[in-house]
Amino acid sequence: MPSPSLMTQTLESFVPDILAVSMSAQNLFGLPWFTNSTLVALIVLAVVLISFKKATKNMQLVPSGFQNLFEALIELLYDNVEQIVGPKVAKQCFHLVLTIFVYVLVANWFGLLPGVGTIGGLNSEGYVVEPLIRPATADLNMTLGIALSFMILWILLTIKEAGIVGFLKHTFCPPGGIVGFMKYALVPLFLFVGVIEIVSIALRPVSLSLRLYGNVFAGETLLHEMGGLVQTGGVVIDFICRVLVPLPFYFMEILVGALQAMVFALLCTIYIHLSTAHDEEEGH
Amino acid sequence: MILETLSLLAEINGSITLGLAGLGAGIGIGLVGYGASQATGRNPGAAGKILTISIVAMALAEAIAIYGLILAFGGK
Repeated sequence: MPSPSLMTQTLESFVPDILAVSMSAQNLFGLPWFTNSTLVALIVLAVVLISFKKATKNMQLVPSGFQNLFEALIELLYDNVEQIVGPKVAKQCFHLVLTIFVYVLVANWFGLLPGVGTIGGLNSEGYVVEPLIRPATADLNMTLGIALSFMILWILLTIKEAGIVGFLKHTFCPPGGIVGFMKYALVPLFLFVGVIEIVSIALRPVSLSLRLYGNVFAGETLLHEMGGLVQTGGVVIDFICRVLVPLPFYFMEILVGALQAMVFALLCTIYIHLSTAHDEEEGH
Repeated sequence: MILETLSLLAEINGSITLGLAGLGAGIGIGLVGYGASQATGRNPGAAGKILTISIVAMALAEAIAIYGLILAFGGK
C-alpha cells in the first residue's frame, strides 16, 4: 500500500487509504441540498414517529408490547432527569430530553444495519466511495443541528424559568452570602468570571456536536478498516475474515451508540439544571 | 532535502496531536474510574448515582481525544 520512499509522501496522499468513509456526506441525485445522510435522517424520523404513534394507540392500564417498551424507557429516563433537575422543571424539559435521546439512539444504531455505507457507487479500484445511505449522525451538519436546536430551546427555557434579569444576575453578580464592603469590592472579579462563563456557554454546541460526530464517524471508519484488514488472496478466506474480524468492534459500536445518546441527553439535562437551579434557592 | 524533512514533519505532526490527546484522555478516564470504584466500595447503595456521574465524566474526558482525532484527519 504505501510507496517505498516514506520521506517523499505527505499525509494527503495517505488519506484515501486510511479513511474508508469520507468526512462529509455526498449529494444524492445531483441535488445540492439532499445528501445521503439527509435521506437516512428522514428514514430515522419516520421510524421514530411511527413507533411512537403505534405505542400510544389504544393505551391500556396494563401495558403490553410496544407500549410496555416505551413506558420502561420513559420511566428509566424520567427518574434520572428528575433527580438532576427537580420535579418542577422536569415536567417542562423532559420531552426535549426524551426526543434527543431516542432520535440520537436510533440514528446511531441505524449505521450498524447491513447495507449502510457499503452499497453505492464504486471508484476505480472497486472500493465504495459514494455510499447510497450513510449513518445520520456521522455527518457534522446533523449533530450541529441537534446541538444548536438544543441551545435555542435552552435559552427559551431559562428565560421562562428564571427571567432575563435572573439569568444575568446568576452569571455576573457575586453570590448572596457575602455581606458588607466585600460585596462591592468583588464586583469586577465576578464580572470577569461572568465573561468566562459566557464563553464556556458559547462553546457548548461545539463540544456537543463534535463529541457525537467524532464517536459515530470513528466507529464507522473502524468497522470499514477492520473489514479490510486481512488481504490474503483467496476469495473465501477474505470474505470470512471480512465478516468475522469486525465482530467484536460491532458490539463495541452498539455500546458506544447507546452510550453517546445517553451522554448527550444527560449533558443537556445538566446544562438546564445549571441555569435554572438558583430558582429553587429563592424558595427557601 | 528541506522539502522532504518538512513533509516528514507534516506526517509526524498529525500523529503528535492525536497521541497527546489520547494520552490525556486515557489518564483522565483512568482517574474517573479510580474515583468511581473507591466511592462504590465505600457506599454500595449509591452505585446508581455514581454510575451516572462517572459516565458523564468519562464522556467529557473522551471528547478531547475526539477533537484530536478530527483535527488530525481533517486538518487539511
